[in-house]
Amino acid sequence: MVEGLLAPINLIIAALGVGFLLPLIARSSASIARGLFWLTQVFLLLISSVWLLRLIDGAPAVEVITAGIQPPFAINLYFGLFEAFVVSAVNLSAILGSWYLIDYFKSRAASMSVYLILTMGISGMVMTRDLFNLFIFIEITALATYGLLALDKRPASLAAGFKYIIATSLASTFFLLGTMLLYHLTGTLNIDDMLLHMDRITGPVGLAAGVLLLVGVIIELKPYPANGWGLDVYETVPAGVAAMISVGVSAGAFFALYKIVPLLGDFLPVVAAVGGATFLASNFIGLRQRNVRRMLGYSSVAQMGLMTLALAVLYMLGKSEYVTLVIGGLFINHLLAKAGLFWLAGVVDRPRTEAWVGLRHRPILLVILGILLAALAGFPPFPGFWGKWELIMQLSAGELPFWVFVVLLGSLLEAAYLYRWFGFALQDDETRAPAVEPVKLIPVGLFALSLLATGHLVADWLGLEAPRVLVPIYMGIILYALDGMPGRLKALLVLGAFAVYAYPVVMGLEGLHWLFGLILLLGGGVIAFAVLHRSDARRGFYPLLGMLLFSLASLLEASSTLEFFFAWEVLTLSSYLLISMGRGAREHILTFLMFSLGSAFLILAGFGFAYGETGSILLADLSKVEKSATLVFMLLTLGFLVKAGAAGLHVWLPGAYSEAEDDFSALLSAVVGKAAIFGLLLAAMHLAVNGVGAINQVLYVVSWLGLISALVGALMALFQEDVKKLLAYSSMGQVGYIVTAIAVSSQLGWVAAGYLTVNHLLFKGLLFLAVAGLVYQTGTRLMYQMGGLIKNLPMTYISVLIGIIAISGVPPLTGFGGKWLLLNALFDKGWYWQAGLAFFASAVAFLYLFRLIHTVFLGQRKQAHKDLREASWLLLFPQILLIVAIMAFSIWPKLLIDPIASSFAGIFPEALIWDGTMLKTRLGYWDGFMVINIVAGVFLVPLLILLFLSRFMQIQKVKQFNIVFAAERPETPETTHYAYNFFSFYEKALGPLLKPRATAFWDGVSEWSHTIGSTLRVLYTGNGQTYALYVLFYVVMIYIAVGGMG
Amino acid sequence: MEFWAVKIGYFLITLGMVTVYGLLLGAIIARTMARVQGRIGIPYWQPFLDIIKNLGKRTAVSHGVMFYMGPVFRIAGGIGTLAFVPVIYGSEMFSNFHFAGDLLLAMYFIFFGQLGMALGAGESGHPFSAIGVARGLGQMTAFELPFVLAIIAVVIQYDTLSITEIVAAQQGGVSNWTLFTNPLAVAAAMLAFLGMSGYPPFDVFTAPNEIPIGPPTEYHSSFLALMATNRAIFASAKLILFMDLFFGGATGLIEMIIKTWAIYMVAVVVGASFPRFRVDQSIRFFLRVPTLIGIASIAFVQIFLLG
Repeated sequence: MVEGLLAPINLIIAALGVGFLLPLIARSSASIARGLFWLTQVFLLLISSVWLLRLIDGAPAVEVITAGIQPPFAINLYFGLFEAFVVSAVNLSAILGSWYLIDYFKSRAASMSVYLILTMGISGMVMTRDLFNLFIFIEITALATYGLLALDKRPASLAAGFKYIIATSLASTFFLLGTMLLYHLTGTLNIDDMLLHMDRITGPVGLAAGVLLLVGVIIELKPYPANGWGLDVYETVPAGVAAMISVGVSAGAFFALYKIVPLLGDFLPVVAAVGGATFLASNFIGLRQRNVRRMLGYSSVAQMGLMTLALAVLYMLGKSEYVTLVIGGLFINHLLAKAGLFWLAGVVDRPRTEAWVGLRHRPILLVILGILLAALAGFPPFPGFWGKWELIMQLSAGELPFWVFVVLLGSLLEAAYLYRWFGFALQDDETRAPAVEPVKLIPVGLFALSLLATGHLVADWLGLEAPRVLVPIYMGIILYALDGMPGRLKALLVLGAFAVYAYPVVMGLEGLHWLFGLILLLGGGVIAFAVLHRSDARRGFYPLLGMLLFSLASLLEASSTLEFFFAWEVLTLSSYLLISMGRGAREHILTFLMFSLGSAFLILAGFGFAYGETGSILLADLSKVEKSATLVFMLLTLGFLVKAGAAGLHVWLPGAYSEAEDDFSALLSAVVGKAAIFGLLLAAMHLAVNGVGAINQVLYVVSWLGLISALVGALMALFQEDVKKLLAYSSMGQVGYIVTAIAVSSQLGWVAAGYLTVNHLLFKGLLFLAVAGLVYQTGTRLMYQMGGLIKNLPMTYISVLIGIIAISGVPPLTGFGGKWLLLNALFDKGWYWQAGLAFFASAVAFLYLFRLIHTVFLGQRKQAHKDLREASWLLLFPQILLIVAIMAFSIWPKLLIDPIASSFAGIFPEALIWDGTMLKTRLGYWDGFMVINIVAGVFLVPLLILLFLSRFMQIQKVKQFNIVFAAERPETPETTHYAYNFFSFYEKALGPLLKPRATAFWDGVSEWSHTIGSTLRVLYTGNGQTYALYVLFYVVMIYIAVGGMG
Repeated sequence: MEFWAVKIGYFLITLGMVTVYGLLLGAIIARTMARVQGRIGIPYWQPFLDIIKNLGKRTAVSHGVMFYMGPVFRIAGGIGTLAFVPVIYGSEMFSNFHFAGDLLLAMYFIFFGQLGMALGAGESGHPFSAIGVARGLGQMTAFELPFVLAIIAVVIQYDTLSITEIVAAQQGGVSNWTLFTNPLAVAAAMLAFLGMSGYPPFDVFTAPNEIPIGPPTEYHSSFLALMATNRAIFASAKLILFMDLFFGGATGLIEMIIKTWAIYMVAVVVGASFPRFRVDQSIRFFLRVPTLIGIASIAFVQIFLLG
């Protein structure tokens, strides 16, 4: 009995039966009708999910042929694992979607039956193996969709519905014609039988049959440009219905395509092109879209395009075994995320993206939106991430670089408009926080959780050490659950957990990884300690901080490119969210995310082509790449250079570093930025050391790029009034030297790179933390509003002083060693011009360093700052640790250089020779220990003399304004403190050289992308007749394309 | 230990000698300039008297710790620079501590005193000090470029960063001096030297003749004495560095005195003949012709000397 009830055929029978009964029952009792409606939905979900579980357990697939009659007159169903999966997903979306339609159904009883029939139609499209059946189910689905639209009874819905029905009728007509011709050729309507007789589908008739069948299904998937009719629908109908159309109907249509793809062997390139064009064009157009629903519509269409592309390409390459992972991943990702987003759009009910301001004050809503968007944008751990990863791998392995480009570009564009929207949601405006009933969030929250869960399942299924890869995510979730605790307690918890986790990780590493283990994890821990200085709860901050810190550990533990990329993306996402917490960050986070994703995609492509050649995703196997080594190296290097803020690619950096919260800026610049250096070294170690292909030329270009960054960073830093922007540009410049040092590709170069990296970590962490304290005390970031603060914040002053000496390269502190190693490396390599530029850039750096310390700490103090106090000791403590490290490395450079050299041991010929404390290269020598002693001597002796003389003098401490002032009396600090526009003469001297060219260029890129979007959008006239015409043209085009191929 | 005692002893001798020489050189230059302008000028011992007088002052004003330390940084920078440059080739006594580091060390250590001084002057709270420092540093970055290019040309030419080896390579006759083997580099370096020495047309950052401006504005008494002493030492150290790199170094004291005086005279002659540049003009000046000469010198070395 129970077994009979659970038969898959009941998916059709129950829905259809109840669907027809409902209007009748509703006449007598609306509540019974509603009860029955819900019951049916639960029943449908029950059947499909029970079968799904059984099939997962290995039960055989079910084949159903009704009424003892052969198809086409009977219904022919096949219920395998994929079918069960899709049908369950669709039923689940349907039932949860109707949660949002309760009010809608109350006023329109008939729509409940249409809704059920729609669900049934989709299930039928998924399950049937018979082409004629498929036609029927397509028609049922289309009609039901139209019915839902029409029952809405608003003019806009009616118009949209009308366009919809015209287009879909055209499509199903073609489909029917195609089916007819195939039947003529093969004598069967069953897809499996047809596959057995593929040889008969030839000649002009075969071609026509295939084309008609294909377009019939493809049109249903709303390909660009024949999709204007589909997009209006998303905008007009209630959110629940829109979600059902976006995920349910599309799923059915896509599954239909999946079924007929084997019949279409020769047409696959055309199918791929159709998908790719749709994916790209829809995402371009999405950029122009400010209406949430319509934007999601474009995203839906784009996702379908991507899946179409993926399906076609996988079959073309004969890699159909990856369909499960790629298509399955993308499908479930799209289904959960897009349905969730449509629902959310309905719940919040603000049509324009810019109206979503204030969501930040509804944490749960924001987290849900964040998860859904992250999933859609392909971030880990969500299933889309795994799908996209495998797709790129297979595309690269199949030597289809063009499609790799299309997929990545399209994904980038999609992320752009989705995250622009998210940017509005992050805006701080409490008055505009939406009021939402918590009940309404249950289904969408459930889907958000399901996304996390499926992400985990996929990782598990792929045989990854899922717990290890996912640790950062788990940390984020656990800490989020504990977010109600007091701020400092959470901070201690994060730091403690990180220490416990990171210690064995670092101990287990060796070589380059060990070195960066210390830099990223130990350095990260020390600098992150500063978060303790704030006692407020900082909702959301600590979970993300945990995610960020743990992802650094994952990055180091990664043994495969997949794990590396996973950690890299988690790092990107968590830094993005952390930056977004800064008050003024809103304008800059999108730029940050775009460049980070651009970088990630370049890296992904690089890993892809490496996999393409070696068939391995192990990081260690990168060194086996030969043929495409130059390409892979270029892609990886470019990707990491974006994150390193190389000149031209740096436009994201100043905004992000300066607008993040003050203590997080330190972590971002000093530690997170070093992940890019790790990546660069990793890529260089595996690919560049052998110097195959044109890699040496690439390195040569990179060496210039690094130093140009050093110069540009230094020059830009000169003209900043904002102290954090100054440091941000300084970071860009200093990392430039590291990049060049890596490009030298010799023992000297790499030791220089390691040394400079550690040094940058120390002094930039120190400076950013010092500035954090400063900003915290003064409440401003503008340097000309400060001045004379040495008397109020002496410890902070010492930090800044040590920091700037360590940057500048003045002996005897650590900076000199870095410059010495770098210049020796450049001379040794014969890169003399670069050496000149390095010198010049470091001289220019002096200017901003002086400005930093002078305008803030020296000169005249503002009256308002008279009673300022020193920064918190909790903020000063990590600074003291960093100062101790700087001093120790200054006195004993060997302490630093030896471990660095040993972590690169054996890669290059030895070029550094130790002679006691003396370090020698082919060209020069330097004894750091002796230098610091001599300097101490020549400093202390005059100091003692002066102190001695002072004993006989009356030293009088004078007040602020007691200065020789050309016979005038100085008035206020504002007029007496030389701080604003400090280097105006430099600007005058260099003039046009300082124009922000990179910003202008990238603004141009954004402008062009939007223009492309507008141009592509011109086709959407809103006119039903035009749309119908497009459909016809489209069919002709496909026919020509396919015929042309034959 | 004995090694260090000897080294320190020798260095103190060198230091004393260089200080006296530097102060005398300052007086000679002042007198020369006076004669050019039709005055008699100061007596030769005037700089010594000034220092003694300033050291003898009984009162002093301090604006804070950095202000107090500024002159100490300054003189440490001067003495340190001297310490890392060998004064007389082949002389144990006058070789200083050059074995602690090479040319790069000396070049970067030049900044030490400037930075410290800038900080001290900054704490005085006098806006003109800060303006002077900003201008001085700005000009410094500009003349640094041709100077560095010239240095690089020299390093390529002699294939070493060791100052002693560079001097050694120039021994054996006037024709071996960098001046004659690599004239372009010397031209670039000497143009940079004009900026470094702070004579007109590149003296706007101290503006010595009119309003008090530049780092020393607020300094007086012992502080000023330390700074005046440093001016002698630091100027000599830089002259010696130029002599070592470009003019064959010196094998004896007399040679050293003649050569450094001659190098100094280049700046004096130019200074006596030209009016003053604004700082943006001087920056542009250094980034044009001298930089091009510097670039040409590297190309010259790579093409003609290395083949």
